[in-house]
Amino acid sequence: MAGTGKKVMALGMDNSEPSFYALQWTLDHFFVPFGQDPPFKLLIIHAQPPLASVVGFTGPGLVDVIPIMEADSKKRAQNVVEKAREVCNNTGVTNVVVEVVEGDARNVICDAVDRHHASILVVGSHNYGAVKRALLGSVSDHCSHNAHCSVLIVKQPKH
Amino acid sequence: MIMETGANLDLERALMQEQLVQQPLKEVQIRKRMRIMVAVDESDGSFYSLKWALNHLVDDITPTNGPSQEESSLITLVHVQQPFQHYIFPAGPGGAGLRSLIDYFQHTAAFYAMPSIEESVRKAQAENDAALLSRALQMCKDKMIKAESLILEGDPKDKICQATEQMQVDLLVLGSRGLGKIKRAFLGSVSDYCAHHAKCPVLIVKPPKEITKQTSSKSE
Repeated sequence: MAGTGKKVMALGMDNSEPSFYALQWTLDHFFVPFGQDPPFKLLIIHAQPPLASVVGFTGPGLVDVIPIMEADSKKRAQNVVEKAREVCNNTGVTNVVVEVVEGDARNVICDAVDRHHASILVVGSHNYGAVKRALLGSVSDHCSHNAHCSVLIVKQPKH
Repeated sequence: MIMETGANLDLERALMQEQLVQQPLKEVQIRKRMRIMVAVDESDGSFYSLKWALNHLVDDITPTNGPSQEESSLITLVHVQQPFQHYIFPAGPGGAGLRSLIDYFQHTAAFYAMPSIEESVRKAQAENDAALLSRALQMCKDKMIKAESLILEGDPKDKICQATEQMQVDLLVLGSRGLGKIKRAFLGSVSDYCAHHAKCPVLIVKPPKEITKQTSSKSE
């Protein structure tokens, strides 16, 4: 909870370029101009995809593979966290909370918004077309419909 | 494999850091100015979104140094008016066919047009829009934010996206009616369309739960 009485801005991230662009955009527009007193408290949420989605098969040798895959998944999540913190530090924003939760990105983000009573959620957008969106599913779409707060979708400008 | 990419990333990061350090402070101040476009219509949701934007996005307007004009954000209010369809008849079976037929006639021969009615409706609409926008402008003035207004005619979804491109806005703010999935599919959602098609970041402001409860109890 925001003990300082500031509103919480949640930012959903994965390891993709649009996410980092969204992070940089948010920092540039909501944190940098305000110097020491930004109007929001930044909370970065990273969803670690659950192993069940990756491991679709069962077999005799599986028991040995699982701990390795878990460790790899955790490492990747840590990587994202570090990169995100680095971007924040480079922009001079230090009061950032980063959370990693295991699960499907859509639910994780909406849950986190509820738990922290965020007043605004920022997500990047892969800019999928209609077909890809239907097939792959869109986290930004789901969040914009289901999150209980205002949602800001940051898109990368097309080059 | 992960180690190799990590090393490359480190190099890139180091280069980026150097570049960032060299950026003078002036650039940081210039970034403050954000061009925000807010779409308004008669609904409460859009006024709530304007209020939200004024409260949260432009809270900082007490310039500590530098000319205040350059640093304040600029809000553009846009209202899209759907063209008055005076050739809509009550629909029966085959109503769609009838309507397109009437469309055709409308353009070729003015069978169903009644100029006086059309004019008075246009006038009423124009007055309505003016009242709407003046309300919105007043809200901005109260917060001491520079605002300009724009009235467009046509399909709201397309017009709003076009306007964001033409005016190169940094952020588009829309209200949301809080429609469920089914209603959204049938009634169409301007906020949905703009979220997908606008080229700039889009902020969708949801009405607080109290308002949605009120409207649902009113309809019952």
